[in-house]
Amino acid sequence: MKRKEKQQFVEHRLGERRLSRFIPYLMVAPAMVFLLVFVFYPMLNLLYLSFFEYNLVNPKKKFVGFENFRNILFVKTDFRACFYNTAIYTVSVVILLILFAVMVAVWCKDKGWLNDFATTAFFTPHIIAMISCGMIWAWLMDENAGVLNAVLSFFHLPTLRWLNSSKTAMLSVVIVSVWKSLGYYSLIVLSALEAIPAEIYEAAALDNTPKRREFFKITLPMLSPQLFFLLITITINSFKVFDTIRVMTNGGPGSSTDVISFYIYRYAFIHFRIGIASASGVVLMLVLIILTAVYFKGLSKKVYYQ
Amino acid sequence: MAEIKFVDVGKSFGDNKIIEHMNLTIKDGSFTVLVGPSGCGKTTLLRMIAGIGPASSGQILLDGEDITDKAPGKRGVAMVFQNYAIYPTMTVRENIEFGLKNNHVPKEERSRLISEVALSVGLSELLDRKPSTLSGGQRQRIALARAMVKKPKVFLMDEPLSNLDAKLRVAMRTELIELYKKLQTTFVYVTHDQIEAMSMADDIVLLDHGKIQQEDAPEKIYYDPDNVFTAQFIGTPPMNIFSFGAHENRMGFRSERVTLSYQANKQAFFERKGSIITREMLGSETQYQIKIPEGSLMVKSLNEKFQVGETVYIQLQEEHLYFFDKEGLRIRDKKEIAECNAELEASHEA
Amino acid sequence: MTHDTERRLRRLPSDLIKFAVVLLFLFPFYWMLITSFKTYTEAIRFPPSLWPQHFNMTSYVTLLEKMNVLRYMKNTLIVTLSCIAMEMVVLVPAAYAFAKYEFAGKSLMFSLVLVAFMIPTQVTFITVYIMMARARLLKTLLPQIIPFGANAFGIFLLRQAFMQIPEEIVESARLDNASESKIMLQVMLPMCKSTIVTIALFSFVSHWNNYFWPLVMTNSEAVQPLTIAMDKLKDVEVGIDWPLIMAGNIVLVAPILIVFIFASRKIISAFAYRGIK
Repeated sequence: MKRKEKQQFVEHRLGERRLSRFIPYLMVAPAMVFLLVFVFYPMLNLLYLSFFEYNLVNPKKKFVGFENFRNILFVKTDFRACFYNTAIYTVSVVILLILFAVMVAVWCKDKGWLNDFATTAFFTPHIIAMISCGMIWAWLMDENAGVLNAVLSFFHLPTLRWLNSSKTAMLSVVIVSVWKSLGYYSLIVLSALEAIPAEIYEAAALDNTPKRREFFKITLPMLSPQLFFLLITITINSFKVFDTIRVMTNGGPGSSTDVISFYIYRYAFIHFRIGIASASGVVLMLVLIILTAVYFKGLSKKVYYQ
Repeated sequence: MAEIKFVDVGKSFGDNKIIEHMNLTIKDGSFTVLVGPSGCGKTTLLRMIAGIGPASSGQILLDGEDITDKAPGKRGVAMVFQNYAIYPTMTVRENIEFGLKNNHVPKEERSRLISEVALSVGLSELLDRKPSTLSGGQRQRIALARAMVKKPKVFLMDEPLSNLDAKLRVAMRTELIELYKKLQTTFVYVTHDQIEAMSMADDIVLLDHGKIQQEDAPEKIYYDPDNVFTAQFIGTPPMNIFSFGAHENRMGFRSERVTLSYQANKQAFFERKGSIITREMLGSETQYQIKIPEGSLMVKSLNEKFQVGETVYIQLQEEHLYFFDKEGLRIRDKKEIAECNAELEASHEA
Repeated sequence: MTHDTERRLRRLPSDLIKFAVVLLFLFPFYWMLITSFKTYTEAIRFPPSLWPQHFNMTSYVTLLEKMNVLRYMKNTLIVTLSCIAMEMVVLVPAAYAFAKYEFAGKSLMFSLVLVAFMIPTQVTFITVYIMMARARLLKTLLPQIIPFGANAFGIFLLRQAFMQIPEEIVESARLDNASESKIMLQVMLPMCKSTIVTIALFSFVSHWNNYFWPLVMTNSEAVQPLTIAMDKLKDVEVGIDWPLIMAGNIVLVAPILIVFIFASRKIISAFAYRGIK
């Protein structure tokens, strides 16, 4: 081929490719714009605002450096209380949910209408609005006319003050959260159980393995990727808990159920102190990042992947 | 009707050069089979013709026209994929119709073409079914029909039979040959199966590591290999090859050309004494593995009486011996062959 | 006695226990329904009655006439459906490009999508609120819709589905002279129908039930959804009207429950798939 011809040929090819090279960017552009404007910019702006004293009524920002962080972490006690409550809530929910989810999954493993019915029933609260669940349970837990106290007094047991006592309020909220999500998480464990090849159990049976050892040495390790997923998801979701608290206790009584995201909301929309709210938001984000990193570093090696 | 020409074509994925400086002409109206071990570049060549894996350099000509950068749908070629690549959400009819619609063929014309092609591949009854309800063989037919209905200049087939069971594969092989005879268009067929290549091709292009090892008719490829690779890739078992002498030349022979005997034979051009290591009864013939001083070799014989452990003579005639040089290239020169023969004899006596 | 019946009998006690546990688990739903038909005085009587003395519709009438519940429902419906529609328009091409094209910056952009999925609305709301307030959109439904334009998780799910389709199908369609948009919409998208349905289901459930976002993004009654209306029912100082609240929640959960009852298997497997990934 002559050189000039070859040159033209190459250019022609490039031209056509340049046009088609544009298309993928056009296709992802809307999604990227939405993410940048409504997720990443607000995220960065949150960090920015956390260094200012700023409220929605008076739009003048005043740079205060790390003052907001110092305030919430070391000066004011209410944020620390929130943090503590959130941690208690998260630990309880994580432990109870994983435990019950595995139990329910093992319990409802076999095929049959009853197990189908049971898994469907357990799952139902998951698709219902969190605030509905909160209201229903607030009603069940009503101190004077609630069903739970009626049952307790029927058995001649002392009645509880549930949401109205700082001793039981957190427990009550935890119960509702576990009730709401149990079906979803047990469903995940259940599908993982079903995916374990039957041959492994047959081999174990031929090796004369006791049921208990079979569960701890075969079933649990095979479930570890899903349990790891549960651990991370439940932790993150629990750290963000808002709806239940707002509907059931409003953070009370006292500050016994005050949690971080409720704190952020309160400082932004009730006290109008955007700086403090932003600093708390940054802390929440950092905690989530650190927890996820710790989980991945500490546990991912112990997880068995097929 | 089309001739395909590769002019100095190269293809690389990143730094990995699959094909370099490829020059090849696929004859108009031929049934050309591209064959070779996996990774040899045969599918890459096919995809370049189709335009779905464009060449990195060089030119591809279809009937003299440069199609190197033409969109796949505008080349007038059709392809049958290994996994058939049938559109699972469309009925059989919609599958066949899809290409016609895209090419704006009028409706009546489309339905005429579809019923014509459906009849010829035996899908008429199944046109309104979804592919998921059909068997592997039937899906294969959809893929064929979809290719045929476009009346392409070139049919490209990428291991189309490898997903079928053994029996169906043999039947489809015959059907494909009949189809080719009927359509009289250029077929380019990719396979890793040398038996498929031998039984179907007019022309075999044997590839290895992106290079053409030999391009010839099946008989020539089998009986007149250009190099050791060809001699060993084509044929089961592969050609027996031994190196000998100071020049590291190699000699070879086909396993079915060997005569086995308990007695030595003065008439034999090449004779070795050996012992039988294994014996495999294949039905019509028996395959022996025999150890001789030069190494071990395979023999296919109609005679099943020899047993493992027995001592036998293997005997060959002069015309059944092949010689290759150190690089594995065939030695064709009469004088060189004579030298080889002498050296072979000398090495044996020593 | 045959072996089979023997085994069934042996399992009977545990089956009965299981059945009882399930009923107990569902009791809150029963209680919500029953309470909604009680009068206020009957509801707060102690000990409570397990069945209403007579089915009283007062709460529902109040919801319709005084609370104007239909207006809230209309808002919820508009918001939910617009969100789903907009998400689909945005995520289909994005997921397709991430799955089937190579382009510079692809992996960076895709990791942005994954990171976005992790960032909670509980921290982004402040800035978005300020943006919406500045744009004077707080009296419209838009603040509840636009921020959800890119459904990061949906993009991820659909990309997985597209990636599972063999490349040969795309190549085959190209050989059939189909345009790229036709390949995406007419060949590939129908093959991902179940993923699309899954994404739409998640989206429906999460927007219908969303409480936090409208709580911070709305301050005029005209644009508030059902969840906020429920909230208002409870925000009284004395004498919470439980029958009214329960009736309101029935209105809120009924549409979802009805969908769930008819498509429970489909919904459950969709959620199970989401967990396994």
